[in-house]
Amino acid sequence: MPGLARYLTVRFLLIFPTVFALVTAVFFLMRLTGDPVTNALGDRLTPEQLRQRLHQAGYDRPLLVQYLEFLKGVATGDLGRTATDNRSIADLLGSYGTATLELAVYALVIALIVGLPLGRLAAYYRDRAPDVVLRLFAILAYATPVFFVGLLLKLVFSVWLDWFPVAGRASTGVQLQLAHRSSVTGIFLLDALRSGDGAAVLDVLHHAVLPSVALGLLVAGIFLRLVRTNLIGTLSAGYVTAARSRGVPERRLRDRHATRPALVPVITLLGLQVAGLLGGAVLTETTFEWKGLGFELAHYLTARDFVAVQALVAVFAVVVAVTNFLVDAVAALVDPRVRY
Amino acid sequence: MPRTTPRGPVAAAALTTLLSLAACTTDTSDAHSAADGRTITIGTTDQVSSLDPAGAWDAGSGTIETEVYATLLSAHNGSTDAKPDLAASITLSGPTKYTVRLKPGLKFANGHDLTSSDVKFSFDRQLKIADKNGPSSLLYNLESVAAPAPDTVEFTLKSPNDTLFPQILTTAAGLVADEEVFPADKILDDEAIIAAKPWSGPYVIDSYAKNSVVSFSVNPAYGGGLGAPKNTGVVLKYYTAASNLKLDIQRGDIDVVYRTLTIPDLQDLGTKPEVVVHTGSGNGIRFIVFDLKTQPFGSATAQADPAKALAVRQAAASLIDRAQLADQVYKGTFQPLYSYVPQGITGATESLKPLYGDQRGGPDKAAAARLLSTAGVSTPVALNLQYNTDHYGSSSEDEYALIKTQLEASGLFKVTLQSTEWSQYGKQRVADQYPAYQLGWYADYLDADNYLGSFFADGNWVNNGYDDAAVKALIKQEQTETDPGRRTETLRQIQDAVAKAVPIVPLLQGSTAIVTRAKIDGVPQRLDSAYQFRWAELAKR
Repeated sequence: MPGLARYLTVRFLLIFPTVFALVTAVFFLMRLTGDPVTNALGDRLTPEQLRQRLHQAGYDRPLLVQYLEFLKGVATGDLGRTATDNRSIADLLGSYGTATLELAVYALVIALIVGLPLGRLAAYYRDRAPDVVLRLFAILAYATPVFFVGLLLKLVFSVWLDWFPVAGRASTGVQLQLAHRSSVTGIFLLDALRSGDGAAVLDVLHHAVLPSVALGLLVAGIFLRLVRTNLIGTLSAGYVTAARSRGVPERRLRDRHATRPALVPVITLLGLQVAGLLGGAVLTETTFEWKGLGFELAHYLTARDFVAVQALVAVFAVVVAVTNFLVDAVAALVDPRVRY
Repeated sequence: MPRTTPRGPVAAAALTTLLSLAACTTDTSDAHSAADGRTITIGTTDQVSSLDPAGAWDAGSGTIETEVYATLLSAHNGSTDAKPDLAASITLSGPTKYTVRLKPGLKFANGHDLTSSDVKFSFDRQLKIADKNGPSSLLYNLESVAAPAPDTVEFTLKSPNDTLFPQILTTAAGLVADEEVFPADKILDDEAIIAAKPWSGPYVIDSYAKNSVVSFSVNPAYGGGLGAPKNTGVVLKYYTAASNLKLDIQRGDIDVVYRTLTIPDLQDLGTKPEVVVHTGSGNGIRFIVFDLKTQPFGSATAQADPAKALAVRQAAASLIDRAQLADQVYKGTFQPLYSYVPQGITGATESLKPLYGDQRGGPDKAAAARLLSTAGVSTPVALNLQYNTDHYGSSSEDEYALIKTQLEASGLFKVTLQSTEWSQYGKQRVADQYPAYQLGWYADYLDADNYLGSFFADGNWVNNGYDDAAVKALIKQEQTETDPGRRTETLRQIQDAVAKAVPIVPLLQGSTAIVTRAKIDGVPQRLDSAYQFRWAELAKR
């Protein structure tokens, strides 16, 4: 098998043990924290009634039996129905996955728009005042918990300045207007654009600003530092010095010769940040009432709905593992330093 | 020609423009544009589990279900009595038989006739599915249902003269479902329910984004007894964080908040002229349960002594300052509770008041010390007290810290507090792992029996080992007593008898709080225990 094909095959096969280990851990950990029936109706039912319902739901069977049943479901692509509200997992992904996707894309756009140019700026002003300020900003951006940034943004821009809405993906009116359309993608911006209503588009963007910035800043700080470090490295590389000695203008050196190679690691980091974005989405979505998968995961965790949590974590695991595989593949193709 | 302009500043400028545009958009929010001016937007932190009447028994689902499905009887505002809704009449036609006549010409919103066959189907379905999340347990005394004529339903009960059965018909277990829509043996998906429009209540669902936003309009087919709504529709908006809910009512993005804001938020909103905070006593109660096996001197302990165990419970009841708990922890939004049935429910007494403390409701250290010394209990008594914050609210921590202070200030108790997560709490308390612990209860229907039966009858929910034959006989008596005066007297006897043994120390009667914008009518300024939040009453000026 040629080197690249072998490398990609191994990387692809690694997805399975990764996902398997994660869903197994979640399966057992969730069952240590209680069951959905006791959680919901423990303050209503007598111990005998509760015991009957747990028996009927099969939650009193040996854990191993339940685990094997779960694995069989995963293997056949049947993740079951949520224990607390009887929804199919596919329906859950369809309804809420699009919202998370929309937020993650906005956040990534913010991260790129903020992180890349500021990283370049910091590298150009290496060890001078702008660089120090930007490095401090980067540390604050990725070290501050995302929910705290969210609350801070909300306090300043929603409560004090009243520039942006407190929460939600759109105003109630716009949300109802979009819901009434015959075919909806669940991505509000697309749905609003398709409706042809400019006010609805602006309303959706208006609502997206604070959550996107809160989540985007988390990744922007990392991008900023990475681009800065790489650019400083390439600016002092031999080929740049050689180009400079040939009389290539300094701005061209900076913007073309040094920048492009410095951006290659950003591709790898993008893949790693998908996990960060999904983790951050749980907190951002909860802070801003952004009804996505992260929001639902938090809700189902509270309800001890282990079927829903297992399924959502499995989906998150697959997304992160597949993204990392794709990033590895792209990196192997574009970066000659990757060995396989 | 090489490009020399860095793209960053251009992108940043584009972003700034976009943000500015977004920040400058006119507010297209809420109620103002959701429908016409008489649509009410309600915000809540509740969550819906299912729209299928057989698949949900939680507050969030109940809020919607009671508006889109009708029951044969319902409790109207200001009264705890069950009154006809879809029913024209209800009679106890035999010792174990209730006969209900339906109002003529009833229909579902989809045009299907609503007949006795649908009613029979609905109850049979509840019992057959007995869903793990559903309310079928409330139908514990229902043997069978018959539909001898299109307008007649006969309920056959397991035990005779059950005067509570009409109350059961007002609950989530009594919602009437369309037999042409719902399968008899399984729960139906929300999407399929919405599409089939099986609505029998005052409202229909127009659009449904689960736990996000739901819009309702008036159901023209509703023929029940609640009357025509005073608004043209309702939009229900769901929140996770109470803080967001508070900010949105303050900004006018929603018209009404129904469940649940924090006490500091309610206090803050009370100072704003643009909103009205309606409060009052709710039907939820909070109390301490003593496990009669494992409490100090309990029957399963090495020092088992019933007299000493009783003295410990009575001393604790004499030391707790309920008024201080209500004021200090709950800022006056809760009221002191001196019995097992909250004030406002027919038959409620204040049986503990003359028995303990200063006999006027306040604490009395000397009285507590006398009780313990008379029984020969050496002090301080070590008491392990459990509480919970993820089910009974984060204020439980302050509540139980204050109870510890009150008990220990006397020098008679040495209290060890411990908090446990709800998912374990329910299991551990019935496994006798907690000598004394926090619990709470809210009513399924507004009757004293829903409290007394749940706490002290055979196979009760509290399950703390309290087992008094006389009390159980009195409970059976009130459950079948048809004369209201005699029943009230029996309820008093039960509460007086239990208060002497005090296996449960009642603490507080919960509050209800509804916040409305100033322009909203239909919510009384002062809410009582019999108040039921029904959307039909809401109107916008």
